[in-house]
Amino acid sequence: MAKIGVFVCHCGENIASMVETAKLVSTIADHPGVEISTEYKYFCSDPGQETVKKAIREHNLTGVVVAACSPRMHEQTFRKACAEAGLNPYMLEMANIREHCSWVHTDKKEATDKAIEITRSLVEKVKRNNDLQPISVPVTRRAMVIGGGVAGIQAALDIASAGREVVLVEREPSIGGHMAQLSETFPTLDCSQCILTPRMVEAIQHPNITVMTYSEVEEVDGYIGNFSVKVRKKARYVKMETCTGCGDCIQKCPVKKIPSEFECSLGNRTAIYTPFAQAVPNVPVIDRSRCTYFKNGKCGICKKTCQIDSIDFDQQDIIETLEVGAIVVATGFQVQDTSGYGEYGYGRYKDVITGLHFERLASASGPTAGKILRPSDGKEPQTVVFIQCAGSRDVSKGVRYCSRICCMYTSKHAMLYAHKVHEGVSQIFYMDIRAAGKGYDEFTRRAIEEDKAGYIRGRVSKVYEENGKLIVRGADTLLGRQVEVQADMVVLATAMVPQHDAKDFAKKIGISYDEYGFYNEAHLKLRPVESSTAGIYLAGACQSPKDIPDSVAQASAAAAKVLGLFSKEHLEREPVVAMVTESTCAGCWGCATACPYNAIDHRDINDRNGNLIKRVASVNPGLCQGCGTCVSFCRSNSIDLAGFTEKQIFAEVMAL
Amino acid sequence: MSEPFEPKIVAFVCTYCTYAGADLAGTSRMKYASNVRIVRLPCTGRISPMFILKALQKGADGVLVSGCHPGDCHFAQGNYHARRRWTVFRALLSFTGIPEERIKFSWISAAEGAKFAELINGVTEEIRSLGPFEQYQELQKIIETQSTY
Amino acid sequence: MGIQEQYRNEAAELLSSGAVKLVIGYGEGSTSDRRRPVFIRSADETARLVLDANCIANLSGYLVPEGLLSDGKSVAVFLKPDGIRSVNILAAEAQVNPDQVVILGFDIDGGQASPLPGRKATDFAPLIESQKSTGLSTELQQEADQLELMSATDRFEYWNQQFSKCIKCYACRQVCPMCYCRRCIVDVNQPQWVNTSSHTLGNFEWNIVRAFHLAGRCVACGGCDRACPVNIPLRLINHRMSKEALDAFDHFAGESADQKPVLATFRQDDPETFIL
Repeated sequence: MAKIGVFVCHCGENIASMVETAKLVSTIADHPGVEISTEYKYFCSDPGQETVKKAIREHNLTGVVVAACSPRMHEQTFRKACAEAGLNPYMLEMANIREHCSWVHTDKKEATDKAIEITRSLVEKVKRNNDLQPISVPVTRRAMVIGGGVAGIQAALDIASAGREVVLVEREPSIGGHMAQLSETFPTLDCSQCILTPRMVEAIQHPNITVMTYSEVEEVDGYIGNFSVKVRKKARYVKMETCTGCGDCIQKCPVKKIPSEFECSLGNRTAIYTPFAQAVPNVPVIDRSRCTYFKNGKCGICKKTCQIDSIDFDQQDIIETLEVGAIVVATGFQVQDTSGYGEYGYGRYKDVITGLHFERLASASGPTAGKILRPSDGKEPQTVVFIQCAGSRDVSKGVRYCSRICCMYTSKHAMLYAHKVHEGVSQIFYMDIRAAGKGYDEFTRRAIEEDKAGYIRGRVSKVYEENGKLIVRGADTLLGRQVEVQADMVVLATAMVPQHDAKDFAKKIGISYDEYGFYNEAHLKLRPVESSTAGIYLAGACQSPKDIPDSVAQASAAAAKVLGLFSKEHLEREPVVAMVTESTCAGCWGCATACPYNAIDHRDINDRNGNLIKRVASVNPGLCQGCGTCVSFCRSNSIDLAGFTEKQIFAEVMAL
Repeated sequence: MSEPFEPKIVAFVCTYCTYAGADLAGTSRMKYASNVRIVRLPCTGRISPMFILKALQKGADGVLVSGCHPGDCHFAQGNYHARRRWTVFRALLSFTGIPEERIKFSWISAAEGAKFAELINGVTEEIRSLGPFEQYQELQKIIETQSTY
Repeated sequence: MGIQEQYRNEAAELLSSGAVKLVIGYGEGSTSDRRRPVFIRSADETARLVLDANCIANLSGYLVPEGLLSDGKSVAVFLKPDGIRSVNILAAEAQVNPDQVVILGFDIDGGQASPLPGRKATDFAPLIESQKSTGLSTELQQEADQLELMSATDRFEYWNQQFSKCIKCYACRQVCPMCYCRRCIVDVNQPQWVNTSSHTLGNFEWNIVRAFHLAGRCVACGGCDRACPVNIPLRLINHRMSKEALDAFDHFAGESADQKPVLATFRQDDPETFIL
């Protein structure tokens, strides 16, 4: 027999001033199954909770309804009180007669009637609640970080330094990401590689970090605490174990004119190559598509050159399966393809380049050894025009969002240019200067005041060539007139966009993404580093455009989340999960198709001789998040959701 | 003079968005009609069409179903599944003569306390003007007054 | 050689060669224009098979009984295009293995049964595709339009009249190839979602739930409509569901054996004009 206790809270005057609590208490007291119905000024207070606990013990209550505030406010409080009194915490329901009743109504009778109905329907629900036990999931205390840019490196180092193992997976031959391509960094103008390469080395040498470069995640199975990740280690054709990184093979490789991806095609590489001199690991890879040996079997010079026989043309891709408990996704961004902007002449004029190209020109390790030289003729440009928002904040052709870093790097470019070409003139077309960040506004002011960057507020309508000059035509909206600038070089501040395969990758690992392909955080403000999938965290520009400080901060935050998860050997989860009635399941798999978490699998039911009788749906409680989408799909009512069962909801509705 | 008709409306809402939106309306002390009874569910994906039928059986003159905006579902996809279900179920109800105006669907986020209050007032007003859903309630009355055995 | 002769021979060959263990077809019924399903297990029985324009029932439901296909052996079945679509749905819902189903396909046109080429469900993909592009039955649509023109009150009254006749015999469920659940929702009594007494309320609920469960799965074979002893026009309510699935989600039931259930999938840009 149900023995339900109903506790009506006054919440001071908050409830009692609009709901006639005495009437509520007496009406509910007569409801079948209600053992005790009582009221108090503040049930959430210590004496209030004591009253509840005492009643549970004295009356052997089988269920509790607290008619008070929203369950979002005090459900945990009263669940704890129930547990302390020996009642299963899931035998509690909160009747929300404050937020949903006393605070929003003005008529006492109406409010009281409503409060009675709300409470009564939850009494009917709680009668059908079941004891639930928290689900305990073992945690594999090893993390995987996907993406070896600055965010991935930071997350890996933080987790590893706290004593946990990390696998850092990077699809390029070297870790470093976009930051390795940058020249100097705002707002301090320290050289990017000078601050990054020590961290790259630290990562590869860290005893807790396994770095897998030239490797791609193929498949993610499992759930929080228990992921199984298949990683494809692409064939390098160079033995990692023995190669010393001497570089002789690279020197001798006869295929020398391959546009270097790292140099944004401003420089060349060989068929056997490391993307850049400070690559980590410093082990080259052979680009199979360009290698003469792989084309016709005729070269093999690298193999002959190598003194320690580290070239292995027979290497195959290897699929490795790794068990990890948490995943940090730090897959970064790419620069938007600007070919849609025909008016800027990108692709048509060699001297119209992107910001990333400029980084390579300004970098001491770049193709021009840090000299600003025009790609077309190698001459030093005397006038450079920078065009901001070349893709960002452009509803018609680009992306709607602000890429966040362009204002700053354009200022930086103008500064670097001024430092390298003293008589050079820089003109910057901008929409607004967005320099929010520590030291950022000071930085842009410095560009303007000390380094004579000329800012023109307006958009560029056209760039065209005339007599060997690039003519940039645009508007100066502050002066309200058309302007034309003769430039030797034009630099486009292109938008930061998700990696071209970001959406496919998200589907592969089971996280959600926005309309652009940036990965969704669980909550924009309160859970900004968690993905929508438990146990998978986000760091860096894969979530939204970010600069280095923000990427690093988010990476450390993600690492903290991972370490929090790893602080216990077992993870306790809310037992609100789906469960299958196997005897009636027809095995149509509609539930499995509908499940957003791939939490439903097949289970074979065999007779004692091992013959298959039937296959039914089976819920993995580690993966199930308890949305109940499967329950509403099931035609035969063979799947149900603990805490919100069909019986409970039916009773709740029928009591209204 | 008889009392003005006060409709009975049952709302099925998800806990993460609309329920929280209703909480916000409360904490903001917005005032709205008291005709709606809320049934809290984890997600709109959990809202089975049967709930709506049972609410009508219990004399609801209108039903409101509400959850997170597309793309905002706490469970990533529950509301998309719910939306398909509603599309089909709504067509079915309408075809059997259960007026579309009595079954309302909405997206209300946890931040939309004002939208919640406005919606409740709007829906209450609309259902009030439609009058009681006597046709359906008649079916229940038959059960209560007759024995078929 | 007529189609009946041709398919009898084919059935005999399939059985004697061991390609199938069973042929599900049509035999003489209780009157000259009625056909009943027959289950032929040996080649010398194939003379019992009848195939003519009266063979209208969708036999695909006979493939579903538990255990029939569990030995891995094949079964041949006489199917019209609607039945072939049903097989696709049953395959998509893991109720039959399409590789075990040999289809003896035929269609009825102008009072004549004519053979359809192909033996596997996939062979009929172009046919089903062309059916989809033709669209749903215009006759049914015209009938349904009559109802749509009514006011909601009148429409409710119309169905109230219809459903009040329902005796809850569940013949509609029994005949439907899609109603393969081991336990129907109407038989769930904890909780009792559907009132089972023969009051109209329960009849309303039953018929609404039945139609909802067939949304995107009904192939308009008409079995339920013919089976109903009190002539409730179930075809119309089923048709309305098929129309919604097709119009809103481009879902034509039984297009292929890997078609996903219309209510277990979604597109982010699904229509939502009615949501406030």
